[in-house]
Amino acid sequence: MMKMSYKAALLGALAATALSGGALAQQPAPIKVGVVTPLSGTYTPIGQQVRWGLELAAKEINAAGGIAGRPVALVFEDEEANPSVAVQKAEKLFQVENVDFLTGTVNSGSTLAVAQLAERNKKLAATTVSFADSITADKCSPNMFRVNARAGQQSLALAAWLAKDKPKAKVFYLGPDYEMGRSTVAAFKASAEQTGAQTTGEVFAPLDSKDYTQYFGQIRAARPQVIYTSVAGNDTVRLLTQLQDFGLLGTVSVVGASGTVTSQNISAIGGAAEGFATGVGYSPQIDSPENKTFVAAFRGAYKADPDLYGADSYGLLFAYKAAVEKAGGTDTDKVRAALEGLTWNTPQGEKTIRAGDHQAMQPMYVVRIDKGKFDIVDKVAADAAIGPDTCTRF
Amino acid sequence: MHDRLTLSMRASHVLALLLVAGALGAAAIGAAVGDTFYLRLATEALIFAGLALSVDLLLGYSGALSLGQALYFGIGAYTSALVLMHVPSFWLAMATAGAASLAAALVGGLIANRVRGVYFALITFGMAQVCAKVVYNTRELGASDGMIGIPVIDIGLGPFSVSAGSPAGFFLVVLAVIMLLYAASAYLLDTPFGRVLTAIKANEKRVPFLGYSVWRARMVCYLAAGLVAGLSGALYPMLRGFVSPELMFFMTSGNAVISVILGGVGTLVGALYGSIFLVVMKSVVGSWTEHHLIVIGLLFMAGVLFLPKGVVGFVRPRIQHLIARPRRPEAGRPPGTEPSHLKTEEVKP
Amino acid sequence: MTALDYLQFVLAPQVVNGLALGVAVVLVALGLTIIFGLLDVINMSHGEFYAVGAYAGLALGAAHINFWFLLVLVPVLMLPLGMLTERLLIRPVFHSRDRHVTTLLVTFGLALIAEDLLKLAFGPNTQRPATPIPGASELFGIILPNYRLFLIGIGAAIVAAVAFVVYRTRLGAMVRAAAYDRHMAASLGVPVSLVYSGTFAFGVALAGLAGVLLAPVYSVFPTMGRDFILLAFTVVIVGGMGSIWGAVVAGLLLTQVQALASLVISPVWTDPIVFGTMVAFLVFRPQGLFGKLGHA
Repeated sequence: MMKMSYKAALLGALAATALSGGALAQQPAPIKVGVVTPLSGTYTPIGQQVRWGLELAAKEINAAGGIAGRPVALVFEDEEANPSVAVQKAEKLFQVENVDFLTGTVNSGSTLAVAQLAERNKKLAATTVSFADSITADKCSPNMFRVNARAGQQSLALAAWLAKDKPKAKVFYLGPDYEMGRSTVAAFKASAEQTGAQTTGEVFAPLDSKDYTQYFGQIRAARPQVIYTSVAGNDTVRLLTQLQDFGLLGTVSVVGASGTVTSQNISAIGGAAEGFATGVGYSPQIDSPENKTFVAAFRGAYKADPDLYGADSYGLLFAYKAAVEKAGGTDTDKVRAALEGLTWNTPQGEKTIRAGDHQAMQPMYVVRIDKGKFDIVDKVAADAAIGPDTCTRF
Repeated sequence: MHDRLTLSMRASHVLALLLVAGALGAAAIGAAVGDTFYLRLATEALIFAGLALSVDLLLGYSGALSLGQALYFGIGAYTSALVLMHVPSFWLAMATAGAASLAAALVGGLIANRVRGVYFALITFGMAQVCAKVVYNTRELGASDGMIGIPVIDIGLGPFSVSAGSPAGFFLVVLAVIMLLYAASAYLLDTPFGRVLTAIKANEKRVPFLGYSVWRARMVCYLAAGLVAGLSGALYPMLRGFVSPELMFFMTSGNAVISVILGGVGTLVGALYGSIFLVVMKSVVGSWTEHHLIVIGLLFMAGVLFLPKGVVGFVRPRIQHLIARPRRPEAGRPPGTEPSHLKTEEVKP
Repeated sequence: MTALDYLQFVLAPQVVNGLALGVAVVLVALGLTIIFGLLDVINMSHGEFYAVGAYAGLALGAAHINFWFLLVLVPVLMLPLGMLTERLLIRPVFHSRDRHVTTLLVTFGLALIAEDLLKLAFGPNTQRPATPIPGASELFGIILPNYRLFLIGIGAAIVAAVAFVVYRTRLGAMVRAAAYDRHMAASLGVPVSLVYSGTFAFGVALAGLAGVLLAPVYSVFPTMGRDFILLAFTVVIVGGMGSIWGAVVAGLLLTQVQALASLVISPVWTDPIVFGTMVAFLVFRPQGLFGKLGHA
């Protein structure tokens, strides 16, 4: 009797294990995406938009069954906008967390350093924020992709619109004195001068300047119709409000880089932002069904409007999903091949990743602020805005 | 010379040996397990420990708080990076970085050593800010993006060759370099020169009356600290493959100061322990909250207020007691009753 | 353009703008110099108190409290904060030999925490209260916002008031006596410990007031404490630690130098110039232009 019940118990246990083993086998391993983004320090607002965009995308992807049946798991680390910390945290994500893919870096120094690390770890990474041209030009990397528009695309779009809106305008350039500020100004100046604008002066203020009034004398003397600026964050708030206080905004229209006025500072700038125009890859006002659904979902989840960082980060995860499904797995070389030339749908339209330099091509918009909203005033087709492929490393 | 100072330094050496033993053990485990990240994190901790060591050299021994030591660290790092991108030689990079940081420390020291105390701190702070800004705007040095593309080099040590890409191997190389710097600093302080420095910290006005030049001593100390910082910095691009201006920013100098305070001012080995502790803390705390600055700030303030001698400063007298007992006749007496003129070690931070 | 045009449209506005910026710097540096002059304490967290004042003004303003009332309310609210800081952080380390270094470190730690706390409480985005006095006026062809004119005026008034209190009242005499020789002052019946806490609190309140006043001009964000810190320290050192007139003269002078220099050389050199001035003074005339509070 005991023998029988012992055998029965053993059989029962085996059966149970088989069944649960089967059930466990149904539980697929998640695909881990590492996010190294500034969660503290000056760039926190950007990091927050990146986080929100990615989390919303992950939620939607997982609700629809995940990537090739596997759920997406995001792992966040704070890079403090310091490349040394970014590299350290990225390595942690690659080595300890074993992420399959990495994203989130904001400043171009971090993106370049992380790209190098990705190569050494034989994994892929992407940026959704950094817009320095070098990332997909002279310093391109076979393991780094960019889904957001780069400075060159933004300048081309804006310059084209400016030529239509104010032909042969006299432009004054004011930028922050560091690599990004200078190169953005240079890029726009090149595009603008090609379309007939005249340069009447240029000045570079130290980063984090409190008071731009010391340059107003020069600006007045130059009598421009347009001021182009590549300042960002708090510097923009100060520049624009000070321009307004001193009565300069009445006769001059201000245009700038995509990062100059964003959701982070627009409420602080207030009325001084009216009429500001820029070339961007995204605006919450884009009139497409995908964008309307996206904006509604974003607002519902986070009680804030998405900006370009949130939208581009959201779009990235869908690109990765498409690539992994096309490649049939997360193998680095296969996913890289799948990403090159990939076309997918995003809230801002269809994007294609150019194989030659891993830069996303997308329709570019020129937006102008009207009553605190980014109204779209012009659109440039993807291939017209993209510029040449200057990446020679692969 | 066998006085309390030597004794306390010997206690530091005991702790240093403990550190080395622990490090070797960790390296062995790491190599066996095939770990990469933690070994490299520990290597980075050691590299920044070298910077903290240079801060302690100035603060603990000549009483000068330098808030801009990251400047020399950065100069060492950038020089090393530039050399490595053209000639992938470990020894050349180290030598050039050392020379560059020594030269910079000479200039910096001439400016900063005219003043003392809080003014010294402010000047060193300002120097680092200004130079960091210059580097930040210099396109040839990569400007704000820094420079990437430093190759993984092979370090030739006689018949052996260690690759900088090997986590355990490079960890041992860095450990050796940092401990060498520690030993050199400790030796320096056990010489008559070191005694002059301690005297300066205790009572600067009196030192000239004893026939020693204060300025010369402080200058040499500053040069030594700059060299230590520069050589430590030279190791950074070998580990991470890039350099960026953030290496010179105030936060880097600030972290070094925090490490020294938490570890124990004036103990030299406290800087090493403090730096490792800080890196571990930041990694751990940073993973569960983005407000790690609050935690670290609180720890730091608590350290300054309640544990002014740092953790090592707290532990060290006990070790001193242990090693002093068998050999010295006075060791039989309980600590409190020793004649006060022998208490040359108790200089507060 | 002609020399007269240059004078009217470039030079004169530059000077006046420099004046408005100078008043802002003086307001921030005033509290710092008083704290240093009396307590011999380097307050690395001074910038954070400036930020706290600005945020307090923002928060209370959002609760519909009138701006003019805020100018009084915020400094008053910051007084206990200052006293608390002095008692809890400065007092314990005050008697150690390396007081300068330790107080520097302690306030540095406080600054680290304060910045993160502000971000935690108010979010990382930039905010800006509406300009209390909108519009601009034209003076001799120079257009200047009314609020900046107001700032110049109120700055002058505050400096005068502080100077009056310090040099012409009994309270001020007690403060100066305690700075000069605390033991003697104590034995003459001056409540030194209270004077110390009170003076620190006063310096902190001044920083907070500066925060409220400057928020509409320079906007409010968690890292704003770092905006003025280098310049404020330079002003304090160049003017002489503890000297009110020194802070005023140095503040106005340095900002003028900055404003006018940016006309002729690249603005990126303004920071090195400011720093160079500080170094030069520290090396050649460490007591600054006007010397210490107790000895002025």
